Amino acid sequence: MAGTDQSKSASANRRRALAGALLAAPALLAAGSVLAQAFPSQPITLIVPWPAGGGSDIAMRMVADAASKRMGQPVVVVNRPGAGGTIGLKEMASAKPDGYTIAMVATGAVFAQYNNPNANALSDFEPLVFFGDDPMVLSVHPKTGIRTVAEYVAAARANPGKLRNGNDQPGGSSHVGASLMERRLAVKINKVPYAGFAPTVQALLSGELDSVTVSLPDIVQHHKSGAARSIAIAGTQRHFMAPDVPTFREQGIDFVAGTWRYIAAPRGTPADRIGTLESRLLETLRDKDFIEKARAAGFIVTPLGRADTIRRVSAEDEAMYPVFLEAGLVRARQK
Amino acid sequence: MEALLANLLTGFTVAVTPTNLALCLTGCLLGTLVGVLPGLGPTATVAMLMPVTFSLEPTGALIMLAGVFYGSQYGGSTTAILVNLPGESSSVVTCLDGHAMARQGRAGAALAIAALASLFAGTVTTAAIALGGPAIASIALLFQSADYVAVIVLGLVAAIVLAHGSVAKAIAMIVLGIFLGLVGTDLTSGEQRYTFGIDALFDGVGFVPVAMGLFGLSEVMLNLEARAASGDLARLRDRLWPTRADVRQAAPATVRGTLLGIALGILPGGGSTIPSFAAYSLEKKLARDPARFGRGAVEGIAAPEAANNAGAQAGFIPMLALGLPPNAIMALMVGAMMIHGIQPGPQIIAKQPELFWGLVASMWIGNLMLVVLNLPMIGLWVRLIELPYRWLFPAIIVFCCIGVYSLKNAASEIVIMAVAGLVGYVLRKLDCEPAPLLLGLILGPMLEENFRRALSVSGGDFSVFVTRPISATLLAFSAVLLAIVLLPAVRRGREQLRE
Repeated sequence: MAGTDQSKSASANRRRALAGALLAAPALLAAGSVLAQAFPSQPITLIVPWPAGGGSDIAMRMVADAASKRMGQPVVVVNRPGAGGTIGLKEMASAKPDGYTIAMVATGAVFAQYNNPNANALSDFEPLVFFGDDPMVLSVHPKTGIRTVAEYVAAARANPGKLRNGNDQPGGSSHVGASLMERRLAVKINKVPYAGFAPTVQALLSGELDSVTVSLPDIVQHHKSGAARSIAIAGTQRHFMAPDVPTFREQGIDFVAGTWRYIAAPRGTPADRIGTLESRLLETLRDKDFIEKARAAGFIVTPLGRADTIRRVSAEDEAMYPVFLEAGLVRARQK
Repeated sequence: MEALLANLLTGFTVAVTPTNLALCLTGCLLGTLVGVLPGLGPTATVAMLMPVTFSLEPTGALIMLAGVFYGSQYGGSTTAILVNLPGESSSVVTCLDGHAMARQGRAGAALAIAALASLFAGTVTTAAIALGGPAIASIALLFQSADYVAVIVLGLVAAIVLAHGSVAKAIAMIVLGIFLGLVGTDLTSGEQRYTFGIDALFDGVGFVPVAMGLFGLSEVMLNLEARAASGDLARLRDRLWPTRADVRQAAPATVRGTLLGIALGILPGGGSTIPSFAAYSLEKKLARDPARFGRGAVEGIAAPEAANNAGAQAGFIPMLALGLPPNAIMALMVGAMMIHGIQPGPQIIAKQPELFWGLVASMWIGNLMLVVLNLPMIGLWVRLIELPYRWLFPAIIVFCCIGVYSLKNAASEIVIMAVAGLVGYVLRKLDCEPAPLLLGLILGPMLEENFRRALSVSGGDFSVFVTRPISATLLAFSAVLLAIVLLPAVRRGREQLRE
């Protein structure tokens, strides 16, 4: 029968191919060093551990698009959402460390390593480049009459634990930011959790909350319309979307918080490939056109190389750990 | 009025340019094609197709995405009616009577009613957006956590009405759904509950795989059992189109569904699911003979289909007018606007009238296009389920797996669907209905979240539920409804009706 003939000849082919491969193996090994120089010689997978369409996805698709030209190979975004980014990052960390699988790491990974026993430690990732910050902004409802950080502190101290602040769940970047702010301002507020920034902002506008700590693009239009008042931004400089909002530092408080993103490869990736990825990605992020495009979509791009990224991330880790400890959320591993 | 006409003229001028018409058509077509795949509801479809629109100019991009959205919304109803597969939460209710009609050989009529009810709802909602978008949107700002608690309680009480079997079983199913909803990371404390250290459960049990398992897979099992020998799903009886009597029954239900959809759709978290459940419950309450429901009642399709389309579209109101996306799809739309450097919000109508009115006009055109696209397709769809079941069911299962997998690119979702399929089979053998369970799964987490938040905001003072007027009214209404359902005399009546 034709079917059996075909399968017979297919298996013969397979055997021949296998024999050929075995014979060619030494040649392939020799070619290995050549291949290393030709890196990347195949498409690179960029894992985004968040769903398609969200902020991280949009940012990384822009990076992938621009980086494809500089790498000479397509950079393909793959969404692997779930468990606060843990699932996607685990896939990256356990991928073959050959430089062809990289992933975006965000603020949440700092928390996950302490809280989720299945999560990877940050040390499982080799940072390549820092993408940028999305600074947190403190905004109040106009009825509170608060205009500055000093007035906010006064109001919070007058009613300890009474000022209602909207943020995400404990361990989330906005909740951590609000907790860090409490420590820095030496106040106690009521941190009310919401699932996402849109409902948080809505609750502020409805009068359910006195203040919110969200990212600027989520509230900027309400600040402009006067429905909400942004009083301080927790960035190193003012945000281009709302240049009228002063930083905490300008108001005498050294406080920086928010979310940030970097791109990493699995631990064990050869140093030369890390070097190639770092320099190509850095070129991509420093490109003027890219920065303009990202700005239009609301992203601040502040590229850093590998060494600076490592420094930055470990400083964040250092600052956040006591907050997790205090909230009783450290249970997977200790620092 | 003149201003409105001028605005609409601006809108239609933008929307009917050949490019934008083509984009609208492409969007509707793509949306329908992807949306017909079970499991791929509007959110997943819009997210998947969003990158396609990055290179377009902003108005065109939004028009196309809106088209994708309507298309996939409509596609979900198609599978719900034909093979009892709710592709998304809002078409769960459509399964109940839609599939019952299909089994009676009236799939064509069911599909046509769904399409026409959606068109009507789309038209009215578009008009509502044009007339009073910003004013309507501000209603959403009146609602605080305590009020949401009351809305959800009302929804759960209404779910008891949904079931046509015993009240005790309906309550048991709702509670089971609420328990399932507890799985995952708790929003208030950040704790993981019932996750057993499994990553896939950290975000909770997904609605879509559970719905597809409970309805779709268990249906396949029951079908195989019932007609192991020959088994075609349904023979087309008499005519393809709805009868005059159908239309007479469907029309008032459509109007009620539309109004309910608009009212509930603008609330955060509302989207199109709660309106469709609510509309169905309302129709069943109003019907002279509630026993017809679940057995192919025309109102049971028209009202929820109108409500889910109106609700889905009403979601554009707070998104465009306030910049507050009330659900995941609208959040995606905001993302798409940001990509093009547009900040949705109060200024958008004044600053970019072409975009706003163009989108409004294209909403209506999109709805019309869908009906024009889909009415001729009905004949084809109906032929599809006349295929021998031994060919149809493997295809259904394969498409289910593909659809569920693509939600998160994870095999774990397929496992959840398979388990839900088995559970659904057992439940149906026990005469327990899956719809109240699904409503519990959706509303349970929302109820807990808002309840705890309301108390946190009030400083632990329970009186907040009765001192806020919206909350107090809705809770009182729920209490009355519950009393009616639970009153022995009424219950005896229900049991008798069932016999």
